[in-house]
Amino acid sequence: MGCAMIFDFRVFLGRSFDGIQHSVTDLLKTMDALNVNMALACPLKPLSYNLESANADLVASIKHHSDRLLGAARVDPWQPNAADTLRRGLEMRGLRALYLNPWEESFRADMPLLDPLLEIAESQNVPVLIASGYPWLSEALQVRDLAQRWPQVPVVMTNGGQFNISGLGQADATLALGQTANLYIDTAGVYRQDFIEETVEAFGAERVLFGSGSPYFDQRYEIKRILQANVNEAAREAMQLGNARSLLGLTD
Amino acid sequence: MIIDSHTHVDEVEAWGWFDPPEVLLPLLDEAGIDQAIIMTYRDATGPDDPATAYILDAIARYPDRLIGYVRLNAEAPNALDALDRALGQDGLKGLKLHTVSYVGFPYGESTLRLMRRSAKYNAPVLFHSGDEPLALPQELAEAACLCPETTVIFGHMGGFYHCEAAIQAAQDLPNILLDTSAMPYPEMIRRAVETIGAERVLFGSDGPGCVPALEIQKVHLAGLSPEDEALVLGGNIKRILDGVRHDI
Repeated sequence: MGCAMIFDFRVFLGRSFDGIQHSVTDLLKTMDALNVNMALACPLKPLSYNLESANADLVASIKHHSDRLLGAARVDPWQPNAADTLRRGLEMRGLRALYLNPWEESFRADMPLLDPLLEIAESQNVPVLIASGYPWLSEALQVRDLAQRWPQVPVVMTNGGQFNISGLGQADATLALGQTANLYIDTAGVYRQDFIEETVEAFGAERVLFGSGSPYFDQRYEIKRILQANVNEAAREAMQLGNARSLLGLTD
Repeated sequence: MIIDSHTHVDEVEAWGWFDPPEVLLPLLDEAGIDQAIIMTYRDATGPDDPATAYILDAIARYPDRLIGYVRLNAEAPNALDALDRALGQDGLKGLKLHTVSYVGFPYGESTLRLMRRSAKYNAPVLFHSGDEPLALPQELAEAACLCPETTVIFGHMGGFYHCEAAIQAAQDLPNILLDTSAMPYPEMIRRAVETIGAERVLFGSDGPGCVPALEIQKVHLAGLSPEDEALVLGGNIKRILDGVRHDI
């Protein structure tokens, strides 16, 4: 079922302040077992809270696996040098996306504070991943408002833009996607297959990316959401590979 | 035998959710599930509520596959009468409460009286549990503590960020069981079994929105022993259902 190539658009590497850790060795072992070819890695937030060094550590850890692993720069927008951290990550460290985590870095996704970072993302033509669905901080409509200020920047809501086990977050996520052409979702933890399938039907498969959120989510299980989705093969290929390559500007 | 302890049938135009039994049954077939417990999306408010009638009609048409729970708004004045009708005369097997849906405190008297009455029937009370206020495992545990004679099931095992709290609550209170539906972590199923025992963990899919075949694979990925997995996939809920009585 499905085409051979799989790109996981969001995994984490490093050692987090919360005790979670994920090494390149462990990641590649799981990827090999699941036939996942490539992944975009985001740094876990270290106990030092120093994201500049986390980005550097990420680059060091993946540099010998450039055929499998790409990296995203993680930035805390509250830091006075946030823009420099992002520029350095993209221009000097070879990172390919911006990762923002409103929950762990404590900011609202719709704050003007983020605009300088989005401006850089636009100029560098890189996508922005935002940890989404967190109450007060990154609900789907808050992320929408940021994305609408930067219509040329692809903004990816993680977790389908929702963390509501009642299913009551789906409507806002769908509303946001319908109003905002540069808004995308990844599928980590999206327990409602019908939400994935209806998003594909309503807005096109190009708006949905397989992202596992590993190790917080189980890559073995998360890949099944894509491989077993009731969509045509072209849509499945887009979700598991094509969209990631397109957003990251990868060519054969 | 595999029994799915948490599925839905209902048609709610306001939410755009149209899930008659004929949507659910093929998904059960695909997953190799023998029977499923069904409940509505709506909260019934009295003995003659169309939501409960919808469940009764479904199990009348598919008696070998579907088992019914009544879902109630505990704050409705006639909720207790509705529960008696459902568990007594109608022969339904349990009570579903979604405290977020009816905006009620789990440890409020309206909810507690239904829990206590359910215990008279030996009928389980399945709560929606999750990350939102009114459905937090800690709140539900307060209710379970006040009704130690009631079999309380935490649907979704606490959702995304409250699985550990749900397991802790079940560790503290022996009348709490956990269902595996929707929450995304195979590891938490394994941890629940290790912590509270396989006898208190129930497979549920929350289908048809969540695909039962996928939800079963989540249980498989938990890596349980064959004996424990058999309990989770059906043995436990069968034991509970067999104990339900319809006369008090």
